[in-house]
Amino acid sequence: MFQVPNPVSFNDSDSQPDRRSFMASAARQLLGVSFFAGANSFGGAAPEAAAAASAAGGKKAKHIIYLFMDGGLAHLDTFDPKPGTEEGGETKGIATRTPGVYFGENFPRLAYLSGALAVVRSLSTETGAHEQGRYLMRTAYKQLNSIRHPGMGAWMAHVAGQTNQELPANILIGADNDHPGAGFLDPALTPVPIANAAYGLKNIKLPGYVTEDSFKRRLQLANKFDRDFRQRYAGSQVEAYNQMYLQARRLMGSNALKVFDIKDEPEAVAEAYGKNPLGQGCLLARRLVEQGVGFVEISSGGWDMHQDLYEKLETKGGELDMALSSLLRDLHSKGLLDETLVVLATEFGRTPKINVNAGRDHHPGAFSGLLAGAGIRGGQVYGASDEKGHLVDSDHVSVGAFNATIAAAAGLPTDKEFFAPNGRPFKIGGGAKPVAALLA
Amino acid sequence: MPRSLACCALAPSSLPDRSGPVDRSGPVRPLAFLLTLAAATVLGPSAGAQKPPTIRLPESVRQLKPVAMEVAPVDASRREEAKAKAAEITRLVDKVLQEKGIAANGMSDDYVFLRRIYLDVAGRIPTLEEVQAFSNANPETRRTELIDTLLNSPDYVFNFYNFWADVLRLTEEPQANIIADPYLAYVKDSIRENKPYDRWVYEMLTAEGKVWDNPAVGYQLRDEGQPLPYLDNTVRVFLGTQIGCAQCHDHPFDNWSQHQFYQLAAFTAGTKTRIDGRDPEFKQGNVASKLINDARAEIREKDPKGYLSGEFQRLVRANTYRVSEIKQTLRLPHDYAYDDHEPKSVVEPAVLWDKVPAEAASRSPRHQFAAWLTSPKNKQFSRTVANRYWKRLMGVGIVEPVDDFNDSNPRFNEELLEFLSEEMVRLDFNTKEFVRTILYSDAYQRESTPFELTSGEPYYFPGPTLRRMTAAQAWDSILTLAVYNPVPFERPTATEMAPVLDLDFTKTTVASVHQAAAKFRDTYYMPIYKRELNTHAYKGAVLCRASELPQPLPGDHFLRQFGIGDRESINGEQPGATVPQILTIFNGPITHVMLETGSRIYDNVDRVSGNPRMALDVIFLSILTRPPSSSDRRTAVTEVITAKKPAIGYGNVIWALLNTREFLFIQ
Repeated sequence: MFQVPNPVSFNDSDSQPDRRSFMASAARQLLGVSFFAGANSFGGAAPEAAAAASAAGGKKAKHIIYLFMDGGLAHLDTFDPKPGTEEGGETKGIATRTPGVYFGENFPRLAYLSGALAVVRSLSTETGAHEQGRYLMRTAYKQLNSIRHPGMGAWMAHVAGQTNQELPANILIGADNDHPGAGFLDPALTPVPIANAAYGLKNIKLPGYVTEDSFKRRLQLANKFDRDFRQRYAGSQVEAYNQMYLQARRLMGSNALKVFDIKDEPEAVAEAYGKNPLGQGCLLARRLVEQGVGFVEISSGGWDMHQDLYEKLETKGGELDMALSSLLRDLHSKGLLDETLVVLATEFGRTPKINVNAGRDHHPGAFSGLLAGAGIRGGQVYGASDEKGHLVDSDHVSVGAFNATIAAAAGLPTDKEFFAPNGRPFKIGGGAKPVAALLA
Repeated sequence: MPRSLACCALAPSSLPDRSGPVDRSGPVRPLAFLLTLAAATVLGPSAGAQKPPTIRLPESVRQLKPVAMEVAPVDASRREEAKAKAAEITRLVDKVLQEKGIAANGMSDDYVFLRRIYLDVAGRIPTLEEVQAFSNANPETRRTELIDTLLNSPDYVFNFYNFWADVLRLTEEPQANIIADPYLAYVKDSIRENKPYDRWVYEMLTAEGKVWDNPAVGYQLRDEGQPLPYLDNTVRVFLGTQIGCAQCHDHPFDNWSQHQFYQLAAFTAGTKTRIDGRDPEFKQGNVASKLINDARAEIREKDPKGYLSGEFQRLVRANTYRVSEIKQTLRLPHDYAYDDHEPKSVVEPAVLWDKVPAEAASRSPRHQFAAWLTSPKNKQFSRTVANRYWKRLMGVGIVEPVDDFNDSNPRFNEELLEFLSEEMVRLDFNTKEFVRTILYSDAYQRESTPFELTSGEPYYFPGPTLRRMTAAQAWDSILTLAVYNPVPFERPTATEMAPVLDLDFTKTTVASVHQAAAKFRDTYYMPIYKRELNTHAYKGAVLCRASELPQPLPGDHFLRQFGIGDRESINGEQPGATVPQILTIFNGPITHVMLETGSRIYDNVDRVSGNPRMALDVIFLSILTRPPSSSDRRTAVTEVITAKKPAIGYGNVIWALLNTREFLFIQ
């Protein structure tokens, strides 16, 4: 239970010297040796020291990488374990490097990096329905018919603008249909979905026989043929398409699209992140952030573990542990962690009671999230659930406050009113106050 | 005065002029004559001057092949009755419009109607030949005739299957070991035979057996192992009521208490979905696991690295799912937090409103629940389905969202909703007659309005709303342009699958299962089955209608890009615009397939390509279901004349039209 977790290790059985030296240097670069040293040096030290050593510093985030665990992350088996209790189930706790803080056993790598993490254990909502829960978590507003609220990526692009002139400011990795997108903001701020990180953005090149000239000609033709229709049906639906056509056009042929070729990464790096959609999504996110993209969400499905939770968690938990820990190290080694905020979120937790199918059901009463990097005070646990993980016991963090904290860490205003086309005012974080203790 | 349409011989007065200046040049010729014109030119740059062109489309989609399907027709004798009811719909719409001081939209012209009715009923745009047939039909009756014809066609089945697939989250593999193909075929079949909706739902809620013996159990298996979400989803889908929150606590925004939720759940608590120790087959233990372990051990004995085939395991596991109903009481959860009842106390079944119909009182609890839910007296049942169809055809529900009739969601036209709900009951849940009635109405046939619910404004239905095509409509429309046969293969039915899939665990041996698994592998084992569909593919895209493709599709498939759901959430389809959609239309195989030699539109243009006027008519009518306006024509002619070769010019025009908003939206 108190084993010192192994950091990411590469298979070094390969005997070729050049490959081995390449691996060693890749490992150094990737693992962020200095990050490691820092983590080691405060092992066992007071939480203040850990927080001070957290890579983030006091700078505001210029980028946000937002990992969404779609389906409902089981708080009791991940970042809020209660080993030894009936509700704790089969999950054993492992010590993190933050004194007195334990994670579930599937997260040794993140346990090792706990000095950089702010663990929020006191989230709760009122909805146990996926769709509504996801919407609320992403927008800080309750889902309504009469308005669509913007997700954080759209807010960020709206306020901070596009930091890379060629690449979109808001990207969503992993197919996710019911994302709130740009909400009532400009449809051009809708996240560009990348269904599969390994393939990147598809269809970005003209077919061999179409020259750039004939492509232009075709577009002009389309615009002429379409003129009447667009006038007759001017409105936001049609305008959204007009915008997307412009964006797609701008993207095509841009050199900046190289960012999507994650095959350019050394194999060792790709493996360290994990060759699965979440791992490769995180790797792509790092590449995008490196190129100045503001907001990248990675949506990872498969967390709705109503059945055989422990079997599933071994795989999914391991993937998350590798992906997120590698992301943090990699960002750090590239000097990006002090300008990048990394968030782990989900729509709700899972029931303390284990059901007849060895799973856990939806539980909005208490659940956990993680924050790390720029703007965040790491090395701490904020809030607590009760002894059964059933309800929030102390320092409740509402979904609004969680969103407002993210916004504040990225220097986005949480007090300012923004007006929807219908004239109603909205705030980033839904009017909630950021949690000061979480901020650097 | 209306224009003449050279190529299509649309009678001069038959379709309206929407295109400005009258253009009388060009002979009026029947299409049949044009079809005899010699092939002359090509659209793609690849085709050489005299060489026979290479056809890269799969052979299976190249031949016209009507779908052999017996579709239950509308009742011809009920046409007048439907018209009368349609007039009542329009009256009720107009009444509210008048109260609100809103003018109804004018009637849609014939081209707009034609395109809309094809998309709404057939799920695709009309072919050139179908445009021609309509234009030649009697203007007095052709709208009504076409509505009936389309309602009687296999297209109707494909289209409304897509509609229900989105509601019911239809997928071949709801869980790794469940095989649901027979259930999917059953849903399609229920639409094909126009099974009364109440009976259909009753069957799904009460079915017992294995899915290939009684495919309606697939509905239960969709939420296998999740009895409470099953109930939540069922009430949401069929009663437009959300009680999900009450699973954990009293519903904060609605009237449902946690106790009520459990009372309702008590009806379905006895649903058993897997064979277990209580069944004769497993009296001696879990035979399925034993078969798999034994088979694995045998293999490992010979080869320590050997593995047991996926089809063996899948077949055995799939056979453990069998739905039945047993006696079972339900208890409140141990953490039940309200004072009205003790935690862990037994819950007596009770329905949310009204009561279980008397004639069902002696049936089993599961049947009682189904009888209550589907009763003609349960207004919320008829209202919900009426509102779903209304939204599908008009763009917006009278109540939104369609699965949440709580009091805070306004009803845009209360009287109309009640009328439609009563119609549904009066028609004995004959959904086809119901759809027919709406389609006959002026309210439906009016011009559309661009409207979005998220504007926060109410909508009183001055006409249908402007809608983006659903993903399936866009995909099926593109196929309509590209291929002659958009259904090159058929999906298996329960009857076909049963002999291959069924194992009797009292008789199975490892050897007999190996035999059965080999047969399964050769027929329906999904990984192999899917690979074989590639014989119908063009550059990786299987050219078949959306309703026949295994779901969910990978995230970067055209249909997913255009918002078809992942079949995880109820009504998961999203019509929003994204960049990858545009890149796919720009550069993906699916728009380029129609520029290939041998595509349907290619052939149609090719036949008349010596005559630019006709060729352009063919192109515009095929893609946009309207002739070019005079300015379109000028633009297009200039393009064809100035292109390096006319063929390239035609190709550019086709590509350009596919990239218009006009193509993607339903007016």
